[in-house]
Amino acid sequence: VLSFLKGLTTKTELTAEDLEPVLNEFRDSLIAKNVASDIAQRLCDSVGLTLQGNQLGTFSSASRLIRNALETSVTRMLTPRQSEDLIADIVNKRRETGEPFVIVFCGVNGVGKSTTLAKVCYYLQSYDLKVMIAACDTFRAGAVEQLRIHARCLNVDLFEKGYAKDPSSVASDAIHCASEKNVDVLLVDTAGRMQDNEPLMKALAKLVSLNKPDRVFFVGEALVGNDAVDQLLKFNAALIDNQNTNKPREIDGIILTKFDSIDNKVGAAVSMVYSTNIPIVFVGVGQTYVDLKKMNIPWFVKALLR
Amino acid sequence: MVLSELGKKISGALRKLANRTVVDEEALNEMLNEVSRALLEADVNVKLVQALRQSVKRKVNLEELAAGVNRRKLIQKAVFDELCNMLNPGTSPPPLKKGKPNVVMFVGLQGNGKTTTCVKYAYYHQRKGWKTALVCADTFRAGAFDQLKQSATKARVPFYGSHTEADAVKVAREGVDLFKKEKYELIIVDTSGRHKQDTALFEEMEQLAEEVQPNSIIFVMDGTMGQSVYDQALAFRQRVNVGSVIVTKLDGHAKGGGALSAVSATKSPIVFIGTGEMLDDLEPFAPQSFVQRLLGLGDISGFVNA
Ligand SMILES: Nc1nc2c(ncn2[C@@H]2O[C@H](COP(=O)(O)OP(=O)(O)OP(=O)(O)O)[C@@H](O)[C@H]2O)c(=O)[nH]1
Ligand SMILES: Nc1nc2c(ncn2[C@@H]2O[C@H](COP(=O)(O)OP(=O)(O)OP(=O)(O)O)[C@@H](O)[C@H]2O)c(=O)[nH]1
Ligand SMILES: [Mg+2]
Ligand SMILES: [Mg+2]
Repeated sequence: VLSFLKGLTTKTELTAEDLEPVLNEFRDSLIAKNVASDIAQRLCDSVGLTLQGNQLGTFSSASRLIRNALETSVTRMLTPRQSEDLIADIVNKRRETGEPFVIVFCGVNGVGKSTTLAKVCYYLQSYDLKVMIAACDTFRAGAVEQLRIHARCLNVDLFEKGYAKDPSSVASDAIHCASEKNVDVLLVDTAGRMQDNEPLMKALAKLVSLNKPDRVFFVGEALVGNDAVDQLLKFNAALIDNQNTNKPREIDGIILTKFDSIDNKVGAAVSMVYSTNIPIVFVGVGQTYVDLKKMNIPWFVKALLR
Repeated sequence: MVLSELGKKISGALRKLANRTVVDEEALNEMLNEVSRALLEADVNVKLVQALRQSVKRKVNLEELAAGVNRRKLIQKAVFDELCNMLNPGTSPPPLKKGKPNVVMFVGLQGNGKTTTCVKYAYYHQRKGWKTALVCADTFRAGAFDQLKQSATKARVPFYGSHTEADAVKVAREGVDLFKKEKYELIIVDTSGRHKQDTALFEEMEQLAEEVQPNSIIFVMDGTMGQSVYDQALAFRQRVNVGSVIVTKLDGHAKGGGALSAVSATKSPIVFIGTGEMLDDLEPFAPQSFVQRLLGLGDISGFVNA
């Protein structure tokens, strides 16, 4: 990269040909950081377009120019357009309707949905909110017992109907129960499912369309590779396609887990946000209740571009 | 079938090369670019892809080739060999011996499918006539023992574990001793999910292996994982004697190229793939025949013996 930039210093304007080698190199470094390969390409293309025709000064400013463009673009992309204020929304709904605020957690198998739900419970409790958990993964062995242990540790009620029940009716019973118990927030766990599994995706859409939760969070893991985008797009599409209303509920936010196991390979977050514009609400950084953080964008951009 | 999309793309690139009138440096580069792109889209580690490129280029030194050598065949064979090397580490999985107690320990990252796969693996062998039992040495994850207990009960495989003991090494020892005494032939030890950044859990894994002296250690990896697989798999291999790999969640959409990274990092073959959440969603895997199918060897068999 450096030798290429030296060759550039005599020129005045950057052309597409000038940029190509340096952007290709940058694309490869993004892929190595676990950005999905076509997303890495698209990101580089768009940065290339903004840079073309730019005036070039000295060598050091040229290198800064390219870096800055990338930094700006990634930062802009990751910064949500609306600020998500979960707590304020919960308090408002409680004041206006008196009904519990319902959050559904969904995603593919084993990404950390149930653990994240428990962490979110702990987070909400720190705002003095009364939380209840609904065990709507009625499929996977041990799923109910897993939540029972978390409910006990966190000292909250668990609503469960055991296994092999229809998850959306369990959720609906749980909402009634939460309402009666004057619960502030009901956290609904769901079974993991592959995004191509049509019957299971329809079942999830049914749960959402029948119970009209206030938030649907997609839980993904930072370890996921090129499949990241497909997972998120198909979960969202399944929700939209299977609700018979013209204002279907969609995925409101992403929670990305297992950040503690990726070093600086932070690319999955870029792939997901770039392709959907859905904001990252929290990141998971470990296996205990306190390991839930808001995304630190400057840290993140640094890790990506380092 | 898993990885088959990757296979199609690669054989497509090779066929394109076969149709060119002149096979020069440009044609070679174009083909290599196409192959590399396909590999990266499938989550094969960037470093492995670079190594493949370099190795093919080294083997096919176009400038120094004698006249009359069939360049297409030479190139195709070089690519084919490199892919075979990636999938086939040249080692075979540690053999299980009938009539003796074989201890098999499962390790891997959090949520990658160890517990599910342990039970599938037990079920598979039990149906083949092995006297099989399961030991739950995961004392860390909430509900881990309930999960194993419920799955094992469904599979009718005897199990051992504890709801109260926190020392995984102790539980493992007790379970393995018990089943050895009862003359079980295949004793499968499930362990907690862990990652290389977590030194305490990595130490525990070493102690577990030390204590139960497994005949075979299986690394379970999620087929949707991206660029982090290589580093993680390598770290597992550096601490315990991983001898084979099982790739899970290949019933989804992921192209599963991360598996090539795990094979390369652990120098261990893939022995089974997981294709669903049910007990019998486990398929034996034979790398050699897989690569042949992958590349549709029917049409290009000409170059294999070139
Ligand atoms: N290192 C790390 N592990 C995590 C994190 N979040 C969850 N896990 C672990 O990932 C594993 C799976 O977590 P679960 O919460 O059971 O995942 P799930 O998505 O509910 O799984 P299914 O319900 O089976 O689909 C557990 O071992 C968790 O401890 C995280 O942020 N970091
Ligand atoms: N679709 C699909 N799901 C799978 C497969 N293998 C495992 N799973 C699911 O993946 C999730 C995690 O599996 P577990 O067996 O709990 O994973 P684990 O590695 O034991 O998790 P920890 O003990 O928390 O580290 C569960 O929902 C399983 O049902 C597979 O081949 N296909
Ligand atoms: Mg769960
Ligand atoms: Mg487990």
